[in-house]
Amino acid sequence: MQRRSAARLGPLLLLLLLPVAWGAGPEPPRADGELQVSSRLAGQAARVALHYLNYRLGSPSALRALGQVRKATVKTIPGIGHKYYLQFTTEDYKSSQNVGTCLATVLYLKRKPRPAVNINCTYTKDQKQTREDDYSFYKKLRQQTKPITGNDIPDSYGHIEPALEPAWALAVAGSSYLMWEKSTENLGYFMAQVKNVKQWITKDDSIDFDYLVILHEIPTQEMISCHLRVIWTPGHPLKVKYFCLSENQQSESEEGSGTESGSTNGIFNEEEANF
Amino acid sequence: QVLRIFVADEAMWPLLCSYTLCQLDFWRGPGGQDVPIDVRVPFASLQAVKIFLESNGICYSILIDDLQVSALVDEEQTQMISHHFMPRSVETFNYASYHTLDEIYDFLDLLVAANPDLVSKIQIGNSYEGRPLYVLKFSTGGAKRPAIWIDTGIHSREWITQASGVWFAKKIVDSYGKDPSLTSILDNLDIFLEIVTNPDGFAFTHTKNRMWRKTRSINSGSACIGVDPNRNWDAGFGGAGASSNPCSETYHGPYANSELEVKAIVDFVKSHGNIKAFISIHSYSQLLMYPYGYTRTQAADYQELDNIAKAAVAALSSLYGTRYRYGSIITTIYQASGGTIDWTYNQGIKYSFTFELRDTGSYGFLLPANQIISTAEETWLALMTIMEYTRDHPY
Repeated sequence: MQRRSAARLGPLLLLLLLPVAWGAGPEPPRADGELQVSSRLAGQAARVALHYLNYRLGSPSALRALGQVRKATVKTIPGIGHKYYLQFTTEDYKSSQNVGTCLATVLYLKRKPRPAVNINCTYTKDQKQTREDDYSFYKKLRQQTKPITGNDIPDSYGHIEPALEPAWALAVAGSSYLMWEKSTENLGYFMAQVKNVKQWITKDDSIDFDYLVILHEIPTQEMISCHLRVIWTPGHPLKVKYFCLSENQQSESEEGSGTESGSTNGIFNEEEANF
Repeated sequence: QVLRIFVADEAMWPLLCSYTLCQLDFWRGPGGQDVPIDVRVPFASLQAVKIFLESNGICYSILIDDLQVSALVDEEQTQMISHHFMPRSVETFNYASYHTLDEIYDFLDLLVAANPDLVSKIQIGNSYEGRPLYVLKFSTGGAKRPAIWIDTGIHSREWITQASGVWFAKKIVDSYGKDPSLTSILDNLDIFLEIVTNPDGFAFTHTKNRMWRKTRSINSGSACIGVDPNRNWDAGFGGAGASSNPCSETYHGPYANSELEVKAIVDFVKSHGNIKAFISIHSYSQLLMYPYGYTRTQAADYQELDNIAKAAVAALSSLYGTRYRYGSIITTIYQASGGTIDWTYNQGIKYSFTFELRDTGSYGFLLPANQIISTAEETWLALMTIMEYTRDHPY
């Protein structure tokens, strides 16, 4: 079948293409210098930086989305990769209210699988309030005697049942880890929907969720299903484990450059030192 | 349970039609004052619905206590009955909720019936699965006047676009004779509006897969279904920025215009011959773009289009502060070949634009229904900017 033969060919093609053109895809090799703030590569890099931030903060009440890119430059580091320097505003993930500005660098590496991110942000929301909101999420979830389960969050009409909001927010935070790992210079992700959630009641003080999430992949427009396991204790780094199912092969190199078909495994993560 | 709800005042209906109530299965629709509504409420929602009714002082009785016991329900019957629910008028139609294909097609007829001198419904073809492709024509007369084309729903999962299209249709009829600018637009040009450009895909998003994007055509030699209707046009067809894999979401199809949904528009545009602006609406990302998507070569009218886009985006933003980016397709979103507005532009339709509506990824395709009206309102301001410019710059 088509898929199998392409999977055999895939790695071969990559080997052929690698020395010829870095980032072989719809974009020609980039010239160094300032990028237009409206350019998609700038936005893409900013989003990668935010995935990393959302995962590292591990705070369902403090999730951020991209506001506007204010400044973007890119530099080629020979033999290493492309480094983006970004300044952008951020919004609250749910309310779209402005919550501060970030400075970030995103280094897309040739050899290692995931982008190296360095990010610093101002935060205009009341941090004490955010901590309290997180803690009340946490308390509510800890008080569950019956494990939370749910399907299709948000539903087809964009509605999220209030009781399932904390679970959804944790899915966003957990997916952020996954999306950060999967992102490349040309491939970006959004968490489209939680298809399924199941809570594991734990004996310790952690919150434990099993998810099936659907990611929206750009520019391929594919919807990728991933199993996600998220373990949360407020004030501690999120523990995330994931396994993605690949429904359609990534097709020609012109589209999904540098991505191989098949599944990706991310194991329990440790402290990241990648600056 | 099936509840019988007594609505004393018909005007209350839009209020009642919060997302909860409107997504339920109506066995008997609103029939005017003092005629009750019968609603089938799934067990999981029962308590919430009853609390809602009681707290709003709405009387109800339990018509059927336990549907599983009752012999009334079988799949076909439910389908048939819910088929018959239709809004009585364009005034009671709920613009703040998402609708099914049948409901939108009923709306088209209601709109025409209520405004026969202004609106007519044209069938431009049939979809792959045989559904009619309808276009609303807004015209105050003349013979093949210069025209503006707007389409929504070419990608079926982008529900905010069809919902906005419905709102635009109502907005046009409400504005003619009242808003001087829209009135002068319609006194000089015609507007064509195709709300459900991909009805097969749209039906599929309601019944089987909310995230379906493409058409539902069968691809020979493949188990995978559908072609991306926004890669199927004859502009850079098959080039970089589309996939040759039928299983891909951006599959361009076996040849340009292979999709009936696309061919119908191509034929319409060519035979009309006087379309001056063409606007194709998608979601999400909050972008307003002009050609090209398939090539880095700048469009000849690049500067003019950029100026229009800048003004349109400013107008959009003025309402709720929603921020849009703008530029050519290839620099703003990504390289895409075989796209709609690349073809229309190359046909000579200078003012060719494409929108990506709200949001920027938090909800994505699943934009909450409570954002439909504000999204449509702000987008309308951008559309008006483009239409006014088209009116004022004949070519």
